[in-house]
Amino acid sequence: MEAEDLDRSYTALCEAMGRVGEGKASLLLAMVSLALIARQGSAEDVLPIIESAATSIGETP
Amino acid sequence: MSMNERPQILPVLIVGGGPVGLTLAALLGEQGMAATVIEADEGYCTGSRAICISRRSLEILGWAGIDRPVVEKGLGWTSGRSFYRTTEVLHFRMPSGPDDRFAPMVNIQQYYVERYAHEAALRGGATVHWSTRVVGLRQHVGHVEVELQPAEGEPFVLSACWVVACDGGRSTTRDLLGVKLEGVQYEGRYVIVDIEQETSRPVERLAWFDPPSNPGSTILMHRQPDNVWRIDYQLRDDEDPEEAIRPERVLPRVRSHLEMIGETAPWKPLWISIYNAKCLTLGDYRHGRVLFAGDAAHLVPIFGVRGLNSGLDDVGNLAWKLARVLGGRAGEDLLCSYTEERLHAARENIAYGAKSTEFMAPPNFAFRLMRDAALRLSVEDETVRSLINPRQSAPVGYVNSSLREVDDDAARLGRSALPGLPAPDAPLASAEGWHHLSEAFGRNFVLLRFAADAPFAGSPRYEGLTELTLLPADDVPRPGCPVDAEGLARERYGAPEGAAWLIRPDGYVLARWASPDPSALATVLDRHLGAPLRLAASEAA
Repeated sequence: MEAEDLDRSYTALCEAMGRVGEGKASLLLAMVSLALIARQGSAEDVLPIIESAATSIGETP
Repeated sequence: MSMNERPQILPVLIVGGGPVGLTLAALLGEQGMAATVIEADEGYCTGSRAICISRRSLEILGWAGIDRPVVEKGLGWTSGRSFYRTTEVLHFRMPSGPDDRFAPMVNIQQYYVERYAHEAALRGGATVHWSTRVVGLRQHVGHVEVELQPAEGEPFVLSACWVVACDGGRSTTRDLLGVKLEGVQYEGRYVIVDIEQETSRPVERLAWFDPPSNPGSTILMHRQPDNVWRIDYQLRDDEDPEEAIRPERVLPRVRSHLEMIGETAPWKPLWISIYNAKCLTLGDYRHGRVLFAGDAAHLVPIFGVRGLNSGLDDVGNLAWKLARVLGGRAGEDLLCSYTEERLHAARENIAYGAKSTEFMAPPNFAFRLMRDAALRLSVEDETVRSLINPRQSAPVGYVNSSLREVDDDAARLGRSALPGLPAPDAPLASAEGWHHLSEAFGRNFVLLRFAADAPFAGSPRYEGLTELTLLPADDVPRPGCPVDAEGLARERYGAPEGAAWLIRPDGYVLARWASPDPSALATVLDRHLGAPLRLAASEAA
């Protein structure tokens, strides 16, 4: 994706999160993630991304 | 009040002797107009203030010879690094090469720019009144009366055909006219600190997000001349801004960061200030005979260094227009294009500045959460790294300007030098001693022909027009005919042999032709320059 398109999408997502509010932002992020996941070729494209994000955050709540 | 003297009407009174006002005075001097400058302070500013001068600003400063001292004193740079905690997540490089006239950015303290612009203004015949405040302003049909109060002595009145307000973010002129800036002010605050410390680190823009030295904060560092570091860091939302700038609060944070990055030489603080991002502009930069430029006209966030740089572009746009109007060579409507073009630029700068601010000082939980996500991902995933790029200042195109000519030959010419865009620079060899095409800009209109021969001697000539024939690389320079030594001008303009560009005095493309027909060319030149000069046949040769 071109940097400009990434930037536009990033800002649009931030603004949508702001509109729905902090309490519902995680639901919004979950819906956007799921819609993007469903557009990937296979689970192999998705699972490493989930693993790497979880590792970065650390798995202790 | 000494009102009984015969009022003399000055051509231009500039309110504000900062870098923008003094540069305007110097540029007007180059156009043959001696300006008068009023400055409330007794001299140059204290603290480094605006430190990053863009390549475009250096070109503008070059029109009045201010570029050379800035480049000699300043520190040029081309790249930057951003870190998340201690991991480098972005290394950006701005376009630059050995053939360029200037580095993409030069860091220098604002007081040096003010001094060099002041010296150039004096060379151009300007008068500067320091320690003098504007206290009243009355607009008349053909002039403006400005009431002035010096720090010591009696108040006095100056009248001028035009007043240009370059008196900064807290403009008195704006208040006296009752006009207001409109837009958004962000909450996030940054402390700005100058320290003196020797270093051998390369000159780069450095940014840290959530560094161990200052968890949760964002820190920016820039080197300046005289062994000065500029350090900007973000305050937490719960910090009291007045408390936050006390040295006992500031210095431990600076110390902790210097230790973290291994800068261990002795250091001392020089200046501390505080800043919050604003995206504000006036709706019109002309109010009767008063014009606004720089921070008096618009305020943009510091991230991306569009503040002083856009102010210098304002006066680069204004100087030649004002000189032509004052010299009777253009009607006042030429000044409407100043507002039109520079307000468009301010809106673009504000849009970029807002984007940078949303990343550098996230305005709410959503921008903060997404910023943290982008930074965490960028450690491993380079596809998101462009989001961290600080969107450095770049000249804004005036592609919808009413001054721009119809581009009939667009299909035969490239996309890079369209009417309304800044004219590309290129290295050349010339009999005039120029090494770059942009050295020919700044004073006159330039008719640039890409051809192997000069035009025939009998073609009409215009006052205020410099005609250049850019010969191919294998030729030898002659007066008025520089050589496109590397062939880069032809490449950057997308110019076939025989093509011509008409470039405004501020280095923007006005019109272009793939194979100019003399009558079409004359129509455009007559419109912008007036009737051609009548010369004796011997002179025309």
